[in-house]
Amino acid sequence: MTLADFKYSDVIHRCFRCGYCKFPINWMDVNNCPAYARFRIETYSCGGRLWLTRAWLSDEIDWTEHLAEILYSCTACKNCEVKCPLRFNADILNMIVAAKSEMVERGKIPAAVKEFLENIQRHGNPYGTSRAKRAEWIEGTGIEQYHGQDLLYYVGCVGSYDTRAQQSARVLGKVMQKAGVSFGVLGNDESCDGNEVSKLGEETLFEMLAEDNIAQFKELGVQRIVTLSPHSYNAMKNDYPTYGGEFDVSHYTQLLLRLVRDSKLDISRGFKAKVTYHDPCFLGRWNAEYEAPRAILHAIPGVELMEMERNRDGSLCCGGGGGNFYIDLLGGSESSPARRRVREADETGANILAVACPTCLTMLEDAVKAEELEDRLAVRDIAEITAEACGIE
Amino acid sequence: MDIVACIKRVPDTSETDDIKIDASGKDIEKSNLAFKLNDWDEYVLETAAQLKEKLGGSFTAISVGPKVWEEVLRRALAMGADKAIRVDEDVVSLDPGCVARILSKVIEGLRYDLILFGAQSEDFGSGQLGAMVAEMLGVPHATLVVSLETEGKVIHVCRELEAGALEAYSIELPALLTIQTGINRPRYISLGGIKRAMKAELKVISLDNLGLSLNGLTQELKLERLEFPHRGKEAVIISGLPRESAEKLAHILYSSGIF
Amino acid sequence: MNGILVVIEHRKQALAEVSLQVLSKGRQLADQAGVELLAVVIGKDALSLAEEVARWADNVLVVKSEELELPLAEPYQQVLASLIKERKPRLVLMAHSSLGIDLAPSLAVELEAPLATDCIDIRTEDGSILAVRSIYNGKVHAVYSLSSSDTVIITTRVGEFAVDESNRQGHIEEIALPFEEECEYKKFNGCVEQEAYGVDINQAEVLISVGRGIREKKNIEMAEKLAEVLGGVVSCSRPIVDCGWLPSDRQVGLSGKTVKPKLYMALGISGAFQHVVGMKGARMIVAVNKDARAPIFSIADYGIVDDIFKMVPELTNKITELKLKNSKG
Repeated sequence: MTLADFKYSDVIHRCFRCGYCKFPINWMDVNNCPAYARFRIETYSCGGRLWLTRAWLSDEIDWTEHLAEILYSCTACKNCEVKCPLRFNADILNMIVAAKSEMVERGKIPAAVKEFLENIQRHGNPYGTSRAKRAEWIEGTGIEQYHGQDLLYYVGCVGSYDTRAQQSARVLGKVMQKAGVSFGVLGNDESCDGNEVSKLGEETLFEMLAEDNIAQFKELGVQRIVTLSPHSYNAMKNDYPTYGGEFDVSHYTQLLLRLVRDSKLDISRGFKAKVTYHDPCFLGRWNAEYEAPRAILHAIPGVELMEMERNRDGSLCCGGGGGNFYIDLLGGSESSPARRRVREADETGANILAVACPTCLTMLEDAVKAEELEDRLAVRDIAEITAEACGIE
Repeated sequence: MDIVACIKRVPDTSETDDIKIDASGKDIEKSNLAFKLNDWDEYVLETAAQLKEKLGGSFTAISVGPKVWEEVLRRALAMGADKAIRVDEDVVSLDPGCVARILSKVIEGLRYDLILFGAQSEDFGSGQLGAMVAEMLGVPHATLVVSLETEGKVIHVCRELEAGALEAYSIELPALLTIQTGINRPRYISLGGIKRAMKAELKVISLDNLGLSLNGLTQELKLERLEFPHRGKEAVIISGLPRESAEKLAHILYSSGIF
Repeated sequence: MNGILVVIEHRKQALAEVSLQVLSKGRQLADQAGVELLAVVIGKDALSLAEEVARWADNVLVVKSEELELPLAEPYQQVLASLIKERKPRLVLMAHSSLGIDLAPSLAVELEAPLATDCIDIRTEDGSILAVRSIYNGKVHAVYSLSSSDTVIITTRVGEFAVDESNRQGHIEEIALPFEEECEYKKFNGCVEQEAYGVDINQAEVLISVGRGIREKKNIEMAEKLAEVLGGVVSCSRPIVDCGWLPSDRQVGLSGKTVKPKLYMALGISGAFQHVVGMKGARMIVAVNKDARAPIFSIADYGIVDDIFKMVPELTNKITELKLKNSKG
């Protein structure tokens, strides 16, 4: 494909490098683009990538492994879209994804991205672990297979296979059981939701995953879905309708809030802690859900909620999106977005960093260890906090 | 350059620890396994694709297997193959000698300068197919090829020996090579590419078309039975959360005089 | 049955280790069946090496050549084809080495002899010969019988059979078998030894080895940090070299180096035989792998079933802590 064929060829040149894509809400520094925060070179900001994409598609520069890494270091957090002052801002992230698509079509992508995509094709998850192990997290919880219950509890790949995220998947299940929610899971029959695949530019694979999932859900008579991960929430709520999948999709924090308000959950036990909440990109900036998680925390007795300066649409991405929880192009430094974020959380004086996403959970917990803050800052999923407030072990 | 690449579809048995022998006792239970293109064949296809991009000519991919094997031929087409041929025969129960005979028959009827095979397959790993076909066709061969350069009607190759040493040859075409991993970096094949390849030409032929029959192919290796290997002494597993097991291991290493 | 013929490989005036393994197995089978063990040595140094071969073989056939120094497939195929047609051994044995891989299949086709490659065991049962092969990533063994009452060919897995001590004094016979050392259409251009890039993993007492599980080149850094605190060096399995993330002189295994360090730590390495054969002699083997059934755990002394990205940094910290503590006390 040449620049002329590129979908955004008429607007891509318009970025004049104002640099706003890197700022958070309060213009306090330029470190709100996670990749820029990590590498501190213009190349790694949205504007930098747009210029490189233009140069690559016009054959001014050649493809290199490094160019591919620059593109794939984008976590699709949407900070740039929110901050860009130009009229084409709604498309700038799409341009990066389209550029990644072109690399995918040419077959020239970083080795870890190739592995990620091939693992999903073969095993239904990016880790390459057998499908037969996807339901292992369920053991001992009594959570049932979906067979027409009220809600499909869709867990996702990170929640199913990552050992830390599995804990939050289990706890959420227990909270729903306690509240008497009628729900079931797909177990070994669950397959990747495709959100990361779409942000990695493999459109046709995303299409295939979406269509297969939709067909499966329809056959099972699924109407309402609650997801553990905001990534799944985003794909199913916003992208699945294009492929004929119209379901009533909620993120679990929205469900928990309803349960608390309807008194289906007794949170009087409380949770005594100074808590700061990290907005996940796919719940926050992507889907404008900032309040449900906070409302739950406010409702729990003993929680003292302290906001980080970068919150809501100014939140700093944990660096796990765009497949980066696996391909890890932003790790390995104290400038990594996850490590910056936990230092920021620590500065609020909070002793609990609350998250609402399994990817954020593992990224930020690893960062707490790397920053040696374990003795004063713990990362907890909102489901885990709610469970404790309900007296669930 | 006219290239013929012979490829294979294999079950992915690397991740599963749950291998069972099936009812016949002569093969493993495959219903719970994922399937893929043989690892070595990825390098074969990448080699062929690069040669075609550089020198032009034709690139034909061949497989001997049942209909589901067409998915690997579609990958070859998505990589740049002009043509794909499937010989409709389930070869799991055939020994390499028979498969070699079938493939030689197919290749005999094609125009070729270079024939490529993977050095071995992930499932049975006998590594003998390519060299057998070369002998049957009467063309020179080199196995375990890790580098390849073309110079008109001659190719310069390096074969991998033990301990990282290499053997260099200059071979006149037509020739057959078996390709070792690491010769290049196979590109990713997008699903979009594979979808587009669905429209490309995939010819299916039978043993009959080749003048062969299953009865006529004498098996030289007869599978008597499958057995599970004896596992031997297992490692002492150190358990606990990462921090705990790391501490235990650190102490073990210290008391063993490692540091 | 008629005798067993072993094909000997040699390089730089020394017998290949694999040939001693094949001779040992051949000797064992010959004794069991009560038949003669023949061995054929070809090339410039053949006569000088025959005496060593005669420690196992009853009869050593030496095919001299002024030009042929190294074991090459084409000339060896010519010699063996005539020899086998003449002597009709029941079983021809050679290693599944880079020579065996190149030579055995085409020889088998020329002679119309059944061939079983890379065998981990050979048994005789009621006059038929059984070959055992390891298949499906080593998860299953397949037992084959080789049809035919004439010559069959078997290549043996490298490192599988032990070298047994033997001190016979077999008969040595020089035979004349004309063959073409040079091949017109396939010119041998010499051997190239492996390039050294500066680090000799054979000298290291501690090797921290990375495999496919490392996922990205930059993650090798975490292994380097661990190697540093243990005074060791980073090595790897084949896929890492295939990807170009480490130079080939760091590779441990069949087509890499055989190492015997004090500690070999396998991170994200499954334990495929081609790798294991290069490190099983290490004094202590520790494996970290998220797959509890990875074959590496059956040769490791200690194992941790967990994510290497979580384990390695923790381990580096704990070792550093322990070192600090012990240096103060």
